[in-house]
Amino acid sequence: MRKIFLVIIVLSFFSCKENEKKSGKIKVVTTTTMITDLVSIIGGDAIEVNGLMGAGVDPHLYKASEGDVTKLFEADIIFYNGLHLEGKLVEVFQKMKQKKQIALANNLPSDKLIGSEYFASNYDPHVWFDISFFKLFAEQVTHTLISEDPKNKLLFIENSEEFIEKLNELENKLTQLINQLPEEKRILVTAHDAFNYFGASFGFQVVGLQGLSTATEAGVQDVQRLSEFIITNKVKAIFVESSVPKKTIEALTEAVKSKGYQVEIGGSLYSDALGNKGTLEGTYLGMYEHNVTTIVNALK
Amino acid sequence: MSTPQIEIQLIAVVVAIACAIPGVFLVLRKMALISDAISHSILPGIVLGFLITHDLNSPILILFAAIFGVITVVLVEAIQKTGLVKEDTAIGLVFPVLFSIGVLLIAKNANDVHLDIDAVLLGELAFAPFDRLLIGDQDFGPKSLWVMGTILISTCVLLFLFFKELKVSTFDAGLSSALGFSPIVLHYGLMSISSITVVGAFDAVGAILVVALMIAPAAAAYLLTSNLKKMLFLSILFGIISALGGYWLAHFLDASISGSITTILGVLFLIVYLTAPKKGLISVLIMHKQQKKEVMLLTFMLHLNNHSETTERHINHLNEHINWQKIKSKEILDLALKNNLILINNEIVSLTDKGQEFTNLAIDYIVTNTDEKIEHMKDDFFLFRG
Repeated sequence: MRKIFLVIIVLSFFSCKENEKKSGKIKVVTTTTMITDLVSIIGGDAIEVNGLMGAGVDPHLYKASEGDVTKLFEADIIFYNGLHLEGKLVEVFQKMKQKKQIALANNLPSDKLIGSEYFASNYDPHVWFDISFFKLFAEQVTHTLISEDPKNKLLFIENSEEFIEKLNELENKLTQLINQLPEEKRILVTAHDAFNYFGASFGFQVVGLQGLSTATEAGVQDVQRLSEFIITNKVKAIFVESSVPKKTIEALTEAVKSKGYQVEIGGSLYSDALGNKGTLEGTYLGMYEHNVTTIVNALK
Repeated sequence: MSTPQIEIQLIAVVVAIACAIPGVFLVLRKMALISDAISHSILPGIVLGFLITHDLNSPILILFAAIFGVITVVLVEAIQKTGLVKEDTAIGLVFPVLFSIGVLLIAKNANDVHLDIDAVLLGELAFAPFDRLLIGDQDFGPKSLWVMGTILISTCVLLFLFFKELKVSTFDAGLSSALGFSPIVLHYGLMSISSITVVGAFDAVGAILVVALMIAPAAAAYLLTSNLKKMLFLSILFGIISALGGYWLAHFLDASISGSITTILGVLFLIVYLTAPKKGLISVLIMHKQQKKEVMLLTFMLHLNNHSETTERHINHLNEHINWQKIKSKEILDLALKNNLILINNEIVSLTDKGQEFTNLAIDYIVTNTDEKIEHMKDDFFLFRG
């Protein structure tokens, strides 16, 4: 047994880190699928992007896999959302002092953020649903990539401008879609409060069943209160989310039914994560369009 | 292999060994679940530590956590000593109460802080290599490796120093106090070590894995041996195998490391449970079969003993009479012949002297029903049984 200790002690000295930087593409690690999508678009082929969270992963409940360790270890830059969306993961990032880390949402103008008593940061972290904020994300990513890899400056700027152009088009398209809905019908009921920024951007009243963090569960009172709300406001449809279990929203439809009113499930929205890679919903643009089309069709 | 990969395996192995050693004693003392209890009941310690220091990263929080681990053990012990409830009930009574006190303390004093066990103890093996011990600019490797290494070395030193005492007090508390070393002191010493190990390992690898690493290797080793030294050795071996095997399983599946190690632990226990030479399921089934055969042999001998008339003792008659199938009766006949219990003369079966003695003993046993008789018989007659 003593031999084992010796081996361990000797090995632990060898394990001291050597900081080698491999030549070639810069390596970027991202957290949520939205950020992964954004960074891949702007970086293009000039960088290697590794997203930690896959499609349908709830960022509050993310668990690291073995492969994530190597991804993080080899990363040059880490882009993450911040505002406590990633929970404990950020503390791990902060311990990696030698890596460049950008908390995209933390650099947004705080007076424009929506406050929330549920979150430790006191701000609602689901900022990507405000398209103007997502443009600011794009700017930050572009600046960071340029400072890290100046020789690809032109490529990054070109990609970024092209993407921002697409975001503008998206905004117009969505506004047109939403204008089909009369204002009194713009009520969005979902499982958790991920859509406050969406609501603020497009004039929706957003009501969540669960509060901000997906870790807390909805209580009986929440369900009762919200079912009253649905009936008094004659809400036609409520929505489930890809990264939150359907159970709570189904409980809500049952509660409404028992009071003699019919509310249907209007479809599944993407909130904390994009859809599967390779599908249209697997991109930020496609995801947003899907969400709005689903909402408008169900509430019309 | 990259550096963090080596480091993770190293940490996993150190934690596995550090957990396996107290695990053996906990399993032997039927207190295995104390590790799970401690992982919950440390919450008030963490809250108190936070209220004193107002810093989530202070080591005082972990110190207080460990103290509450020991308090858990003391309370469990006290309740158990009343003799009113069993060990597991006592554990189940103590830790929810302590945990709830922690919850209430948070609600009353620290509701605006994100404070729970997870917030203070990292509990993710995958990230352990990123939390490094830095002195000045010098990097001394992952912090949890140093913490768990220290705990492991202290555990081993204590184990070597007090091995005899621990052994006696674990198996015979009465003898232990008669020999002059207090079983209570040893017990609390052991429990304190377990508590510190649980808290330290919790921070390094997470709660479920700690419980699994404490219980599964020791439980598997317990099925294989009743020698304490061998049991310790086997537990450590199982711990190391699972730590490394689990890591590589996670590598190939690109899955959670702790989850994979726990899975390997479960599979390892299952294999041992099925194949252990004496206590394993397969050998138990074989033994049952042998016992069945023994009973049949006994029935056969009693039948011979009861009937002096030759018609009843004719070979061909036997299977009709006792209602056995042909193959079975042949098997029993062969067994009896091999053990020199019967003689076959002109297809008539009769008991030998040894067979007669055996039958008398068996009748004796059936009449008196005392165990010593049958034990003695096993040694004398049943050569095929261990």
